[in-house]
Amino acid sequence: MRVIRAAVDEIYSVIEQMVGAVFRHGLPLTDKIAARTTLTNFVLHIHPVRVRRSWIRMSYTLCLGGLSFFLFIVLTVTGLYLMFYYVPSTNHAYQDMRDLQFVVTFGGLIRNMHRWAAHAMVITVWLHMARVFLTGAYKKPREFNWGVGTLLLLITLLLSFTGYLLPWDQLSIWAVTVGTNMAKYAPIAGPYTRYLLLGGKIVGDNGLLRFYVLHVVGLPLAGFLLMVIPFWRVRNDGLSGGLGPWPVKPANGSRHGSEPRRGGGSGPTTPRWRSVTTVTTR
Amino acid sequence: MRRFGVCALLGASGGALVQGGRYLQPNALYEDPPAFKADPPSSYAVGSTTVLIDKRVVINRDPNGFYAISLICTHLGCTPRYFPDVTSDLIAEGTQIARDPDTGHLATKSNPVLPGFKCPCHGSRYFRDSVNFYGPAPRPMDHLHLEVARDGKLFIDRSIVVDRSFRLKV
Repeated sequence: MRVIRAAVDEIYSVIEQMVGAVFRHGLPLTDKIAARTTLTNFVLHIHPVRVRRSWIRMSYTLCLGGLSFFLFIVLTVTGLYLMFYYVPSTNHAYQDMRDLQFVVTFGGLIRNMHRWAAHAMVITVWLHMARVFLTGAYKKPREFNWGVGTLLLLITLLLSFTGYLLPWDQLSIWAVTVGTNMAKYAPIAGPYTRYLLLGGKIVGDNGLLRFYVLHVVGLPLAGFLLMVIPFWRVRNDGLSGGLGPWPVKPANGSRHGSEPRRGGGSGPTTPRWRSVTTVTTR
Repeated sequence: MRRFGVCALLGASGGALVQGGRYLQPNALYEDPPAFKADPPSSYAVGSTTVLIDKRVVINRDPNGFYAISLICTHLGCTPRYFPDVTSDLIAEGTQIARDPDTGHLATKSNPVLPGFKCPCHGSRYFRDSVNFYGPAPRPMDHLHLEVARDGKLFIDRSIVVDRSFRLKV
């Protein structure tokens, strides 16, 4: 009996340790724990801990960065679906694209979501950069972020370009013929670049496969790795957006702030689970 | 010792990068070979233009011989198409078209129709003998080496670019 109890205790402690390793702050039983959990976690709180109200005005950011990220997610998911039916070979590509459009259940929806999200992402990324430029958000200390942003714009355009070839219709083939011939005009490395990009001298099987690999793995991976940097920098540097007032402290000075804080200068610490905290404070 | 370690690391990384580039460079291509055989010379009439669209080659026969044109637009590499009339719409618009320097042909109001090639991508136009006269194309299309093979067929090598004055006399 004793042995079994000891074993159960041991198992419990191991499970407790594992749970504790994941949920490091414990249950959010008080406002303090809730706030600490949220504020120290990049995923739960993507903005800096202190945010001026003027930074997050909708009319200032226009949500363009968030929209771009959202479209990136949409493209990743729909692209994953498309990969189940699409074979990147000159014998199959066009037929697979037609099948997706006309035979596969919801294939047309998925393909059109992918296509339109791609168009939209080019627009939102461009507008995001325009917004950052026009509001001077690229200035110190955010120059590095601007540099990363230009790379991300480039990756967005390259993703569009590589995706353009994949339907393997006349438009794709000649568009990529033209595009890679432009690359050939670059001094010194031009012809080599084209040869490397196409894996040959014409837009053929090798080229299709290379563009496919770049489109589904290479560029999205690079894009994701680069995308993390601006998110992190924004949390560290704060947003641009002027010197509007800091969030106001609750007027009654209570630790929790007893007023419901709807849009009223609450700062980032508004706990959603107040009912829980009032009942179970130990 | 530490400096040596850093140098070794950098060197190895650089080497890996270069070799990675070499890996991506195919050593053998399974594309259509550059040289191929066409019909025997007798099957081309004098003054004819034959477009081999899959090979992207044109075989012209003039009174003074054969010549082959690489049907690749010199602008950005699309495939121009043959048309019996590539000039009359420009003449009707009033666009001045230069005289073909090689043949001396000139499209005029009284004689507006000349055959040639139009590129579908950006609208470059060429005379029948490959000289560009309209659109963004910077130079005439390449001429290719051709000869008569042992079995009597025309043998065209797309990897050898020859002078525009090259003619194969049969």
